[in-house]
Amino acid sequence: MFIFLGRTIKFAFQGFTRNIWLSVVTVVILVLTLFSVTIAAGINIIAEKAIESVEQKVDVSVYFEPDISEQEVLNVRYRLEELSQVESVGYISKEEALQRFIDRHQDDPGIIESIEEVGNPLGATLVVKAKSIDDYPTVLSMLESDSYADLIQGKSYDDNQQVINRLSDISSKVQRIGLIVSAVFIIIAILIIFNTIRINIYTHREEIGIMKLVGASNWFVRAPFLVESMLYAVLAVVIAIAVLYPLLGVIAPQVDSFFAGYNFDLVSYIHGYLIEIIAWQLGFAIVLSFISSSFAIGRYLRV
Amino acid sequence: MIRFKNVSKVYGHDTNALKNVNLHIKPGEFVSIVGQSGTGKTTLIKLIIAEERPSSGHVIIGDWDITNIKPHEIPILRRQIGVIFQDFKLLPRKTVFENAAFGLEVAGVHSKRIHEIVPQVLKIVGLEKKMNRFPRQLSGGEQQRTVIARALVHRPKILVADEPTGNLDSINSQDIISLLKKINEFGTTVLLVTHNRDIVNALRKRVVTIDHGSIVSDQATGRYIL
Repeated sequence: MFIFLGRTIKFAFQGFTRNIWLSVVTVVILVLTLFSVTIAAGINIIAEKAIESVEQKVDVSVYFEPDISEQEVLNVRYRLEELSQVESVGYISKEEALQRFIDRHQDDPGIIESIEEVGNPLGATLVVKAKSIDDYPTVLSMLESDSYADLIQGKSYDDNQQVINRLSDISSKVQRIGLIVSAVFIIIAILIIFNTIRINIYTHREEIGIMKLVGASNWFVRAPFLVESMLYAVLAVVIAIAVLYPLLGVIAPQVDSFFAGYNFDLVSYIHGYLIEIIAWQLGFAIVLSFISSSFAIGRYLRV
Repeated sequence: MIRFKNVSKVYGHDTNALKNVNLHIKPGEFVSIVGQSGTGKTTLIKLIIAEERPSSGHVIIGDWDITNIKPHEIPILRRQIGVIFQDFKLLPRKTVFENAAFGLEVAGVHSKRIHEIVPQVLKIVGLEKKMNRFPRQLSGGEQQRTVIARALVHRPKILVADEPTGNLDSINSQDIISLLKKINEFGTTVLLVTHNRDIVNALRKRVVTIDHGSIVSDQATGRYIL
């Protein structure tokens, strides 16, 4: 088994080096394919993260009338929490609301004085976060019902819907372009690998004939060509990572400045998934090479 | 050792390469197959090494009916049959040693064992001092000896030589035939396909003559009659 494996790898390396320029072109095309697929996937991830970050900032603040008791506010909170669309409901009591107001205006003695004169004019507040951006209309319609109209002084819904729509729009366009570019490169890569293996079979036809004549098993004849195509895949992944990784250092500051104030750091995100990214690239390149070389071997290598 | 029972081979619809051939070659025999070009000699060899299947009849090697041999069994058959061709079929980028070792290499024989067997075989064919040369550095006769060495490394029971002297001058041809006789004396069945009248007549061994796909003569100590 080890002898078989060792000799297969040896023959594969011979095939690779004897047609070195053909091998180089094949690897370059595979690298370009990996670039396009990785960049398309990367943009997709960044766009998803961007939408997620913006969505996280959306909430509805419900301001209650000052004379509404804490119990009544907590009842509303309880009802809201029972809704399946609601993620969480934060409660800011009258006193807390006043304290925050004073803190915000402590440089304005006029306001502080008037507060001291009239007492606490503020009501309690509930801060509602829905599970998804699409759930807010349900929450808002519930709060607008008659049973709550008398309790609620006002609502503030910081509507980021437009930003989200624009982001989704851009991301789906980029995704579509990425998909088309990747598909083109995948097709080119399949054709190039297919052709490289076909030419290799042709240049080795004499050797293949002799191998068969002296009793090489069918697998021993085929395996070196498969291993050779795997070699292209591994080399392409190494080169792609070697180029893309330093590139990350260049684009990370731009992406991070875009996400300033949001909880997203591109470099640490990539670092967290580095092994998975390499594994995906390797798996993708190997599957691509395997499929196209299998076609070429099946078509041109009669054993 | 080799038995053809009513074997016919038809290419396309109407090209009869072999017609109802019955042939029995016993172990240890030295048989010359003679006939003009295109009479079916090479087809006979292709049937023995399972490169072709008969259209009808049976081909039996030893106790093995290879008429309907499965693809994965072909390598096992070929390791038992050494084949030599007129055009040598050597790998130009491999040395004499590497060419001879190739058969063992592809069969998965351990390197240590290869280094034991190959020098012995190269000694038999008289190339022990040229094992590091490349085919282009050898004469035609030496190239054919390398091919014989490659055919012998598996210690085959049958050695099939298809026009082995076709590209050689008379002195080198005689050398190769002497070597085949020596191999035959060791017990290997030798099947020599040729249309070299002098060689066949000098051998004084069994001669099977094929004409238009049929055996027209089979003599125990024969001569070239066409």
